[in-house]
Amino acid sequence: MLVAQNLTKKYGTSTALQSLDLRVNPGEVFCLLGANGAGKTTTINLFMGFIQPTAGLVEINGIDVTKKAAETKRHLAYIPENLNLYQNLTGLENLRFFTGLANVALNDTTATDLLDSVGLQVGAINRRVSTYSKGMRQKVGIAIAKAKRADNLLLDEPTSGLDPQASNDFAGLIQDMRDDGVAVLMATHDLFRAKETGTHIGIMRAGVLVHTLATKDISLNELERLYLDTFRTVELTGR
Amino acid sequence: MRPSNVILFLKHTFTELWKRPGTKWAVGLLNVLAFFAVITAYGQLREQQETVNDYRQEVRERWESNPDKHPHRMAHYGYVAFRQPYPLSFFDRGVDSYVGNAVFLEAHRQNTVNFSAASLSTGLLRFGELSGALVLQALLPLLIFFWGFSIVAGEREDGKLRLVFAQGATWPEVILGKAAGLFSAALLVSLPTLFLTGVLLFFAAGESFASLSRFGLLLLSYGVYLSLICLLTVWVSAVRKTAKTALLALIGCWLLFVLVLPKVSQVAGQLLYPSPSKIAFDRMVEEEILKQGDSHNPDDPYFKHLKDSVLAVHQVSSTKDLPFNYGGFIMREGEKLSTLTFRDHERRLLARYEQQHDIVQRTALFNPYVAIKYVSMALAGTDFRAYRAFKDQAESYRYELAQTMNELQMEYIGNNIKTSADKRAVLDRSHWHDFPDFAPTPLPFTDSFRAAGLALFSLCLWFVGLTALALFLRRPTSVI
Repeated sequence: MLVAQNLTKKYGTSTALQSLDLRVNPGEVFCLLGANGAGKTTTINLFMGFIQPTAGLVEINGIDVTKKAAETKRHLAYIPENLNLYQNLTGLENLRFFTGLANVALNDTTATDLLDSVGLQVGAINRRVSTYSKGMRQKVGIAIAKAKRADNLLLDEPTSGLDPQASNDFAGLIQDMRDDGVAVLMATHDLFRAKETGTHIGIMRAGVLVHTLATKDISLNELERLYLDTFRTVELTGR
Repeated sequence: MRPSNVILFLKHTFTELWKRPGTKWAVGLLNVLAFFAVITAYGQLREQQETVNDYRQEVRERWESNPDKHPHRMAHYGYVAFRQPYPLSFFDRGVDSYVGNAVFLEAHRQNTVNFSAASLSTGLLRFGELSGALVLQALLPLLIFFWGFSIVAGEREDGKLRLVFAQGATWPEVILGKAAGLFSAALLVSLPTLFLTGVLLFFAAGESFASLSRFGLLLLSYGVYLSLICLLTVWVSAVRKTAKTALLALIGCWLLFVLVLPKVSQVAGQLLYPSPSKIAFDRMVEEEILKQGDSHNPDDPYFKHLKDSVLAVHQVSSTKDLPFNYGGFIMREGEKLSTLTFRDHERRLLARYEQQHDIVQRTALFNPYVAIKYVSMALAGTDFRAYRAFKDQAESYRYELAQTMNELQMEYIGNNIKTSADKRAVLDRSHWHDFPDFAPTPLPFTDSFRAAGLALFSLCLWFVGLTALALFLRRPTSVI
């Protein structure tokens, strides 16, 4: 479970995130929508413990991230927007290294099965990552996240730059994880994927979460209109 | 900190480095350079050992084959002392090429040790020599810097570090593990070089305990040095924002450590503690000796007073009535006086050199390169102290030779003999046999260890300091 209460992050006089209240329960996929600089990645970074909040509380499974960042990592998996792996190592070697860091030991068979399960072609598993497309790298990232069997998953624009097929495969995998009871927080620009994959949607603007709604209560068209209206307001008011 | 993660980073870093394009070439090239340097120097060492042994034997044979003659003529016939290189000198040449290898020992004079490799070669030697030590001290760290400058900073830039930390890794694990990985890659160059050195040392010195002790400590010192270089590399990469600035910082460190600091400290030492030139030193000694007394001048007040007191003690009115040869006695006293004067001046000159040397050696606290250089030279027996040990022993031998000949003269030559052509003025050649050969003993291991004390301490301090930084600072910089 992911919880943020009155979470604020300021850089000098500039406010990146303002009084965010958020809860993602097991089996929920919360999609954060917003333009660049809206505060989505800041939110993810605060949950990851990569930056310290100026105020407020951020918790993973009831553990305060600011106090026990290392401990919260055990309950957390993460896939960044641009997953860079070690270019000179194979997909299999990358998977085993990253899962090893999380104390998950995979033998060759288990690791190969896992990569296969996320859709990485068998022929690519033992090839150097330098020959991989972005979609293939993201699949290794998903395998890393899956292997950890964490209760929470943070995704920072994971489908950005993926082709429609890869994006669709990715959405399927997120749904599988959601069905397994994982709490997922996903920052994205992709309204279609958010509507399709998410259980809840939050729209952020200038560091503030301005709308929170359940995806079942809104159609894609309505979502698109709401999103555009939110940012049209910005253009009109300058905020 | 989880040791399993440190090991994982170690293995991963090594594999990643090994698979990097260019790594095998760089490792191969440095190994070729180091092997070439070590094997060439070993060949030169064996040649020098044989040459020294041959000449030493020849000098002895010539000394012993001298016919019956006046002992003072033998004191002037003299002896040649050869400096035997230390077995490990083929690994680190230190100051060996710039100091002399042979000295002519004779009565009344302290000659310069001559025939250094530098004096017998073209000026090219001044550009520096390639040695196994140089490869490990200066070139390998440069390779480590190139291997490791982006090891953290580059991963921060391309986002890998986020994933690493998301998986639960901590800063101590990252820094120690990656430093250990770099170190294991550095072993690809250092281990073959040191192994070859060990094998050749066995051929050069056999199972000598002193050589083994020196080599053992040398291995340990290079281990610590390379470890701290790896820790420094990872640390700099972790605290710099980008790989580019990390590379600039590391190259700056290399230039500072290897070129700037040693030169600046050397110049500072000479400016703060100026030492006289060779000509000025010789003139000072000569003037001082002449001021005290000239044993060859019959009217010299010091020796005239000495003569009067000797005559008074033995209650005789002429030196011809003394129970020993007066010429020999005067020579003995003159030698004693001139040697004491020389040694006093030399002691002051060496103290001055020590002060200059201390300035450079103290920079070892800020410069691990100077620290390993001092340790390596001391253990290889190619530092100035090892040279001084030879020079001191040669001077003691010269003094002993001159005084033995003087005492033989006092004991066996009568006072009423007028010329050395007189048959009674010559001694049997068996006396030359009785005088022992010059057999210098190498500086004991404990002395070399003491000489390297500050430098060894500095290496340990650097290592402990950098490890502590890795262990206790949780956030050297941001993950993102």
